Amino acid sequence: MLSPVTRYVRRKGFTLLCPEVPFFEHRIDLFGLSVPTGYTIAIELKLKKWRRALEQALVYQLCSDYVYIALPWEQGRYVELAELVKNRIGLILVGRDKCRTALVATKSLETRDYYRREYAELLRRGTL
Amino acid sequence: MTPVDPTVFLRLGTHAEKEYFEKTLKRFNGLIIGANLVEATPGATASLIVKLCGKPKPVPYLIDPMTYAFGSYVDPASGATRDDLDWIKSDKKVKGGKGKTTREFKSSYAKLAEEFGIIFSQSLKRGSAIGPDDLESARVRSQVCEVVLKYQLDRVRREFEGGDYAELADGIPPPTHVIAPYFYLEPSRQKEWMRASWSLLKAASSRGGNIPVFAILCAPKESLGDDGFLNEVAQQIPQSGAAGVWLWFSKLDEHLASQKELSNLKKLTRSLASRIKVLNLHGSFFSMGLSLHGMQAIAHGVGYGEQKDVVPVVGQSTPTVRYYLPSLHARFGVPQIERGFSTVGVRTPADFFEKVCGCVICRGVIGPSLSNFREFGEMHYSTSSSRRAAQTPAAAKRCRFHFLLCRLQERDSLKGKSMEAVAQNIRAGADRWKGTTVASEADHAEIWAKVLATD
Repeated sequence: MLSPVTRYVRRKGFTLLCPEVPFFEHRIDLFGLSVPTGYTIAIELKLKKWRRALEQALVYQLCSDYVYIALPWEQGRYVELAELVKNRIGLILVGRDKCRTALVATKSLETRDYYRREYAELLRRGTL
Repeated sequence: MTPVDPTVFLRLGTHAEKEYFEKTLKRFNGLIIGANLVEATPGATASLIVKLCGKPKPVPYLIDPMTYAFGSYVDPASGATRDDLDWIKSDKKVKGGKGKTTREFKSSYAKLAEEFGIIFSQSLKRGSAIGPDDLESARVRSQVCEVVLKYQLDRVRREFEGGDYAELADGIPPPTHVIAPYFYLEPSRQKEWMRASWSLLKAASSRGGNIPVFAILCAPKESLGDDGFLNEVAQQIPQSGAAGVWLWFSKLDEHLASQKELSNLKKLTRSLASRIKVLNLHGSFFSMGLSLHGMQAIAHGVGYGEQKDVVPVVGQSTPTVRYYLPSLHARFGVPQIERGFSTVGVRTPADFFEKVCGCVICRGVIGPSLSNFREFGEMHYSTSSSRRAAQTPAAAKRCRFHFLLCRLQERDSLKGKSMEAVAQNIRAGADRWKGTTVASEADHAEIWAKVLATD
């Protein structure tokens, strides 16, 4: 799922991207930065268990302006969208070589500037 | 059942933990040292006992004879019962063998077997575990008890005798109690092991002299679901003449245990506590809360050890020492907790000290900025070739000291409390973090409250 999601997110303007970014004991599946806007994005990829993905996504809101969970197309029907809306998390559904935003993420209110700045800077320097 | 004031023993895992003991042990109630550690580092261990448990403010200590290590065990990988003693072996390099290794007994256990002699050294020689059959003869049981109890009484003293520091030998206090030889009551031969264990315990109890003899009940956690087992334990251990029993249910994690398991642990505690002292060798806040039902003490290590498997799983990377969240009496990752700050109402350091933890470590680390909370989870690449980031030693140390101070506070907070008040506190802590990213790992709170609040 990583390749189609990476291409999709890059097309959305997050051109600096890095997979498997460590965040404390966690690993953010895909972390990105939009250079013109300075916004950061984190994506949690999961084959199923969207609730587990949501739990991780909530943690990533500390360092990202926008956070998505990405699931295979057919898993989309199990997701309670209201739960994601409430938490400002977006949803990307992934098909064969194709992605679709099922729910647009809203800017996180939980972002800590000290994490966001540090991670954006590491991405810019290419040292993540 | 009369409630008792809870006490906490700290277990020394390695000498690398010395600093924690030097700084905090005096505020705890006792020290436990495994006999394998005594044999691995006899001089350092004896010196530490003199320093921590000698005059002027002696802290009670005891030596866990670790006799179970020579019995059969269940392989955590395959689930099969093994008699090959492999878990107390390690790979050793063959001199001049160009990277070749040979599997040998760890020297600490080899020395311990030599100290105990009789069936222990024979077991190592033949390369197979001691079984219940080896303990059938009353004469053997008597010999085993004699050497194992004597070891605990004089091994540390012996380290100083005849040397330059002989005068220190007189300053070494005896252990607070001695432990009867014990073995893991593994499921495939549990009945036989139980019979042998009760006989050993009787023999040991009759030899105790001035120092009380305690048992260690070492059984799989599944035994907590076996009423027949629990009834027999409740009957046999007090009848043996032992003054107390340390409970050790292997793999029982009180945070993940079912209500039935914890209720049965409480039932067993209550039943035993009416006749002898009951303690938990690897317990958490829940077991400390069982002081309301007669549990006298718990023990654990400085960072982990609130649960322990009989056989450690090898080959795992060093776990992160997570932050102990006092409201939930459990550990969580730093970002998991930080993500919940807004829900809990933590916006300033003062909020944190009031609503999360106000211990001296947290005050020192967080200081004027809440962002410093991340220092409890600080990560680094320990070497240039490391593939994964790991917690820095400094962050792990902060978490351990914070945990130890919390534990003292928890112990003191239980004194004189009613069952209802304790249950209410547990529920209030869980309510505070409801709807946060830690809530999915906080199911234990309601179970604990329910179990502790009822007779």
